[in-house]
Amino acid sequence: MMIPLLKAELFKLFRESKTWYAIGAVLLIEGIILTAAYYQGATILELLLDNLRQSFYFEGNLLNGNLLLYIILNSLWFNLPLILMIVSSALITEEYKNGTLKTLMLQAVSKGQLITAKYITSFIFTALILALLMLTTFILAYSIFGSGDLVVYLGTLNFFPADEAFKRICFAFASGLLSMLFFTTVSLTLGILLKEPAKTWIASAFFLILCSLLLKADFGLPTVERFFFPKLTNAWQHFFDYELDINSILIDNLLLAGYTVFFAVVGIYLFTKRDIG
Amino acid sequence: MLHATELSKSYKSGNALHNFSIELKPGVISGLLGRNGAGKTTLFKILCGLITPDYGTVAVASKRAKPIGAVIEQPGLYGYLNAYENLRLFAQIQKAPADVNSVKNYLESVGLPVDRKDPVRNFSMGMKQRLGIAIALLNDPDILILDEPFSGLDPTGVASLIKLIKKLATQNIAILLSSHLMTELQKCCDYLYVIDNGTLVNKGETRMLLDGLISRYTITATNIETSRTLQPYLVAAEKNTASIKCSSEHIPGILQNVLEEGFAVTSCLPDITLEQLVIPLAP
Repeated sequence: MMIPLLKAELFKLFRESKTWYAIGAVLLIEGIILTAAYYQGATILELLLDNLRQSFYFEGNLLNGNLLLYIILNSLWFNLPLILMIVSSALITEEYKNGTLKTLMLQAVSKGQLITAKYITSFIFTALILALLMLTTFILAYSIFGSGDLVVYLGTLNFFPADEAFKRICFAFASGLLSMLFFTTVSLTLGILLKEPAKTWIASAFFLILCSLLLKADFGLPTVERFFFPKLTNAWQHFFDYELDINSILIDNLLLAGYTVFFAVVGIYLFTKRDIG
Repeated sequence: MLHATELSKSYKSGNALHNFSIELKPGVISGLLGRNGAGKTTLFKILCGLITPDYGTVAVASKRAKPIGAVIEQPGLYGYLNAYENLRLFAQIQKAPADVNSVKNYLESVGLPVDRKDPVRNFSMGMKQRLGIAIALLNDPDILILDEPFSGLDPTGVASLIKLIKKLATQNIAILLSSHLMTELQKCCDYLYVIDNGTLVNKGETRMLLDGLISRYTITATNIETSRTLQPYLVAAEKNTASIKCSSEHIPGILQNVLEEGFAVTSCLPDITLEQLVIPLAP
């Protein structure tokens, strides 16, 4: 029964105009960043590295495809999760709003299977968008700016040779996918709780901002600092630490995956227990 | 086929349903009559399993994958899909036949055109109701529940929907429909339940229930207000319309005499109000 439900959810998702607006928005932001980098990137980079140039000699072009991939990767902080959360939460809130959830629940379909199909659809959509973002940026950035070493500022300037940089960017995208899945899962659970699209969008945006604030906050408690979910949403960023701590990143990702499953289970439980309509 | 016993449901705002019992039988069209907010939709949602009652039980004697098909409130359809896509989608998710011919048959069975390709958001309310019924009938349920199916329909749409409902009843489907408009229920229901403030206040076979209560009729014909036959019964008269007071057993004779006087009667409608039906049931 799950496969027909999944097919139906994906069919509906890609027939809705808002899905294509969301994809368009993601690609437009990417296009704006690449265009801005093409015209102003070199000047900005010169400005940033001006002091360093007085002490060091830089070889090669630092405004390259890898740097652009890294800049686009930073969409994972706010704009990409926000767009994905809006689309994912609409999977359930639009059904409440249009009365189609009632029609669905009046068919020979179980509540648990329907909502599980919606979570899986949200996972698939999130993965597809991230893959699209990576692929289009890779093609455009490499064809326009070429390859080269990556310079990243994370408290200090870290330099990575081109091959190493590309590997780290790929891993960061994979880790970033887990972070995006966490946010989209939370938004779908919020949709189940709040039912109304506008309320859910506001709550999702608030959750995203709150996570960003809590990520920077220092709680002074080692357990909270290590295991509280807002502290885990930036695991992908650690791929650009000069000394790579794979174990720590792996644990962060596993914990975040655990939180994602937890929020999904809470959503499925609430949906199956609550009345419809 | 369906026995619901002593259903009760209350919300923070008060009692929505109180000790309501109802029975549906195959091939019988039952009507639920009540004012807006009387508890009709709450009852339907409980019968369909969308909400859980505080008390009471619903027992359905059916072995089908989908025992009850229903349209509750407005038909919930995907406005951006066309009728064919809506039907195919709902058929696929429950593994009902969803090939081209089956979907076309579903559309034809409710009198919808098979060649309309535009999204259902462009459809009239009548067409949406029909599509909603087609979706409700997927997987051949034993029971069909329709909540206010006549609201928003023009007279042609109402007549055509009544015809469809009667046709479905001949297929041995137990049908329950609600309305706050008595005329429509009177035209198609075999049995009536009257609900007020969440409580069952009256029930019975439609003809028996109404015949006992109807005492006024409105007769329409050219210059009918001048009819000599009607004068002893006349309560009110306007041009071409006469309102008379008499019992139901007298009406055939009166009409016969009016026709013999040479009046071409175009309609004779019983005047009965919902308020007349909202009287407590005998203990």
